[in-house]
Amino acid sequence: MSIAAAVLETLRAEAANHGGARVARAGLRIGELSGVEPESLRFCLETLVAGSDLDPLAFDFEICPWTRRCRACGAVFHVLEWNPACSACGSSDTEAAGGDQMELTYLELEEP
Amino acid sequence: MRVPLERKVLNENDRIAATLRERFQNHRVFCLNLISSPGSGKTSLLERTLEGFAPERRIAVLTGDIQTDNDARRLAHFGFPVRQITTGGACHLDARMVERALEGWPVEDLEILFLENVGNLVCPTSYDLGEEARAVLLSVTEGEDKPLKYPATFHHADLMVLNKIDLLPYVPFSAEVAKENARRVQPDIEILDVSCTTGEGLDRWRAWLDRHL
Repeated sequence: MSIAAAVLETLRAEAANHGGARVARAGLRIGELSGVEPESLRFCLETLVAGSDLDPLAFDFEICPWTRRCRACGAVFHVLEWNPACSACGSSDTEAAGGDQMELTYLELEEP
Repeated sequence: MRVPLERKVLNENDRIAATLRERFQNHRVFCLNLISSPGSGKTSLLERTLEGFAPERRIAVLTGDIQTDNDARRLAHFGFPVRQITTGGACHLDARMVERALEGWPVEDLEILFLENVGNLVCPTSYDLGEEARAVLLSVTEGEDKPLKYPATFHHADLMVLNKIDLLPYVPFSAEVAKENARRVQPDIEILDVSCTTGEGLDRWRAWLDRHL
């Protein structure tokens, strides 16, 4: 819920930066390792938006995979079944490469 | 009109966390964020830790709970400065709470600042508190599959403390499976076995802390 509140706070600030334009739609990028469950976040956002100054507001979710990079062959691969070994060459010498994103990617504004 | 943003949702938290981290680093304060489910033994580990430090050591604790100051009272017995953060509903600490709780404290003089997070394996993960290291506690009375169920939490941890190992003979918990699960999620994680009840393994925990000073 506090993450949803942070999203809306940012949306309001950005809308104010654009002359108080109404926000019709917002894009969110959520990684599989962010600790955020997209459906829970969507529910919290919709609950907070309902009946507020931001209502109606739609959200687009882009889910980013949990990825690691292989130090042996350089491949960046999607971690499946919690398996940290490289899916290309099988090396276990790998490092974190992505999946903890929690970002606002775009706003769609209506002209005031 | 579409306006690209590319902004982190927790931008403001991260900004405050960065100033805290700089402050800790400039004064060589080792700040450790302790995360676990409720009842895994964060407060017990801190009790045993504080008990083992000579009184002249410069150690402090911020302890977070939704309600009550019970943990701060438990920890205050050892003579080190302890402050309670009562979040009043929030299920995690955030950087602003830490910043506020540190107001008027001689943080600069500390060797170690422990941040005992609210008992929760989900929400604290997303909030950077400016810590230098993050430890997650798992106790043997929980499931071995916790690292797989909460991969974000274990993935962002530097250390896993496996607590309550004195109970291993009495519970159907395989320490090896739990560790293997943690290493699948975070291959570089360090793991320490401890029992806050018998004291087993606490020497290795203290050595781990000393290595970070």
